Amino acid sequence: MTPLLSVRNLSVRFGETLAVDDVSFDLPRGGALGIVGESGSGKSVTCRALMKLLPSTARTEGEIRFEEQDILGASEATLNTLRGKRIAMIFQSPASHLDPLMRIGDQVAETLRKHTELKGRAIQEEVLRLLDVVRIPEPERWARSYPHQLSGGMKQRAMIAGALACKPDLLLADEPTTALDATVQKSVLDLLVELRQSQGLSMIFVSHDLGAVARVCEDVIVMRKSRVVETGKTRTVIDSPQHEYTRMLIASHPDRLTQHTPPVAPKAAPLLEARGVQVRYGGGGLTDIFTKRASGFLAVKGADFSVQPGETLGIVGESGSGKSTMARALVGLVKPAAGEILFEGAPARPFGRNRADYLRDVQLVYQHPYEALSPRMRIRDAIAEPLRRHKLCAPQNVAARVADLMAQVDLDPSLGDRLPAQLSGGQCQRIAIARALAMDPRVLIADEVTSALDVTLQAQVMDLLIRLQKERGLTMIFISHDLAVIRRLCNSVIVMRRGEIVEAGPTDQVFDNPSEEYTRTLINAIPHLEAAHP
Amino acid sequence: MKILRFIVARLLQSVPVLLGVSIVTFLLMVNTPGDPIRLLVGVRASDETIAIIRDRYGLDDPILSQYFTYLGNLVQGDLGASLRFRVPVSELIGQFYPVTLFLVVYSIVLILPPVILLSVWSAKRPNGPADQIIRIVGVVGLAMPVFWVGLLFARFFGVTLGLFPVSGFGDTIPQHFLHLFLPALTTAIWVVPILTRNLRSALLDEMNRDYVTAGMSKGLGASQVFRTHVFPNSVLPTLNLFAVIVAYLLGGSVIVETVYAVPGMGKLMVDSILARDYFVVQGATLVFALTTIVVMLAVDILSALIDPRINT
Repeated sequence: MTPLLSVRNLSVRFGETLAVDDVSFDLPRGGALGIVGESGSGKSVTCRALMKLLPSTARTEGEIRFEEQDILGASEATLNTLRGKRIAMIFQSPASHLDPLMRIGDQVAETLRKHTELKGRAIQEEVLRLLDVVRIPEPERWARSYPHQLSGGMKQRAMIAGALACKPDLLLADEPTTALDATVQKSVLDLLVELRQSQGLSMIFVSHDLGAVARVCEDVIVMRKSRVVETGKTRTVIDSPQHEYTRMLIASHPDRLTQHTPPVAPKAAPLLEARGVQVRYGGGGLTDIFTKRASGFLAVKGADFSVQPGETLGIVGESGSGKSTMARALVGLVKPAAGEILFEGAPARPFGRNRADYLRDVQLVYQHPYEALSPRMRIRDAIAEPLRRHKLCAPQNVAARVADLMAQVDLDPSLGDRLPAQLSGGQCQRIAIARALAMDPRVLIADEVTSALDVTLQAQVMDLLIRLQKERGLTMIFISHDLAVIRRLCNSVIVMRRGEIVEAGPTDQVFDNPSEEYTRTLINAIPHLEAAHP
Repeated sequence: MKILRFIVARLLQSVPVLLGVSIVTFLLMVNTPGDPIRLLVGVRASDETIAIIRDRYGLDDPILSQYFTYLGNLVQGDLGASLRFRVPVSELIGQFYPVTLFLVVYSIVLILPPVILLSVWSAKRPNGPADQIIRIVGVVGLAMPVFWVGLLFARFFGVTLGLFPVSGFGDTIPQHFLHLFLPALTTAIWVVPILTRNLRSALLDEMNRDYVTAGMSKGLGASQVFRTHVFPNSVLPTLNLFAVIVAYLLGGSVIVETVYAVPGMGKLMVDSILARDYFVVQGATLVFALTTIVVMLAVDILSALIDPRINT
């Protein structure tokens, strides 16, 4: 039987860079193939080449056959009869892949209008049916909404609905769950597994997360530096990886990391404490003053917690649960509507006059390393900036201190002359951490610092934080939606949902005996390598 | 319903702006060098006469009560009387304002089609030959002073070729179109390049967005993706610039109206300033401010209609 899709010696070049080097594979009808690798490994480029969606600067060689149709040699007109109709694609960040000005229903209907004979009412009904298939509740209501009104998971579902519209034979999924929370990720993966069975969909699933691939695909290819390093049945690859890189990838998965027990902090007076902190977004306009009514959205509805010196506190929750807002309130980036923040038992005003003094002790590291660094500032200057601004050391010692900080986060000091764009995400995150450490803080707040990173880099950054915790006796607040990460790092944990703390306690207790249903859902959503098809 | 609430909220927000405008125009009058009564009664009037008139006009009242009198008159549409023509200012404005409005709308009609055409053409192939030529011609258009272009056009199209009248407004609507063609064209010459460059860069930004790839993956084809996704998204930033330019055109019609002797607000304003006809200057300022507020409001509402993210 001829395979549905057959790729032979595919190479893609952007100018001098070889993005994909001699990749070949077959996908049988009804099969599901995972492509795993870190960012820059060429997995997304491979996926896009299958539909010839690469920018015009890309030079492609080799052969791609979809049934008997040659893809690379096909004209745009021919391709447009395949795209969306026979081959559909879903993307990593649903937010940016949906047109912000167009209603969800119309975006789902686009493919129907283009590729089918359906008209008017029939299209409406088909759109509602599709939204129902991807389990969007109240399809009528959400079809009329715009993308910004939907949550991340719903946007991804809507995009899947659009991709399924013309009953394609092949679905290309380019990191469809990476930008989503664990619980949402699980539900989207479940949906994809179910669609494979119910619609007989063939699938190519690109991800950096072997756990996610294991859930959906029976075959996998592992890519690294533009090349395929290993192929095989997912189960076999996970159980007995042949290539050294695959082994490292599997070892970096939270499932396989050595359990680390964070040092127990001695009972002491809390170092940082939040009492009844409320944060409100919006509101406070003229109409509010007249009606004496508080409008806007309560992002944090009264949070009480404390961190002891040397302790690591984890804050978990889905996006929108208010955990990042809480972090921002702690360093005065948003002003709480009520409540107070205490540092060493005394009320601190992170947004008041002694802001600079307080921030010397409490530093925040942000989620997106590239966005947290100025793209035009050299690494060395970025780290030196707080030293110079706050005169933390004599001008002639700045260079030595920067080199010292870079060494502390395992960065080669020779990288100092580079710009952020010339470094990897993991390296940039280290720089962001080094810059926070420049202040010699006593509390480090890490807001989703590992979420934007590949698993291998994630493991490295986590190891770095564990080491700093040990060496410096740093007090940390670690915010993440990834429970596996929290479990490795934190002594105690609080679980947030819709702006409220629903559960709090020592990590082991919360994880082994969760008292809330919600916490249990979060724990069950962690993707495991063991989920692979036998 | 949300959009209705948004409109009402925006209307309420313009109330303080209007009050601010009334204060500024009032202070303009109070702080005018020279005594308006002197202008009214002439230099030879006795001090007694002046005192009587000052009293009658309430000029000796406390400044705050003068302001409220002024505000009360404004609300009733009473802007005072022109010292020069001896007619109410509102009558003068009613006579001159439609001409300027006609000119501005006419200019907009001449501006929009080339802006859309040229920016799409440039963006299709950035830095290609068409883009370069459009850029160079645009810079030339921007670099030429408006009054100079006006004079050139009047000389060439009006006098040498005799195609268009070079002054006045005409009496019938077809005549209006004929009379105002050169002034409108002169205005368009410098506005088109600005908007074209703005829309071109917005188009280029939007063409690299992820939803374009997503649209291509649905097999929509480049031209449909451009029409239905790229273009609507690109219009928004340009729309805001467009509002600023329209507001400027209304106030900045002075040069074009002077060059072509068009009896519009700009010309009225300049003549009144030169003749020290203060009440007319005050009234005209107020009308310009009002128009600006209305234009901005209209564009805000238009953006809210296009972009669902604005009114939530």
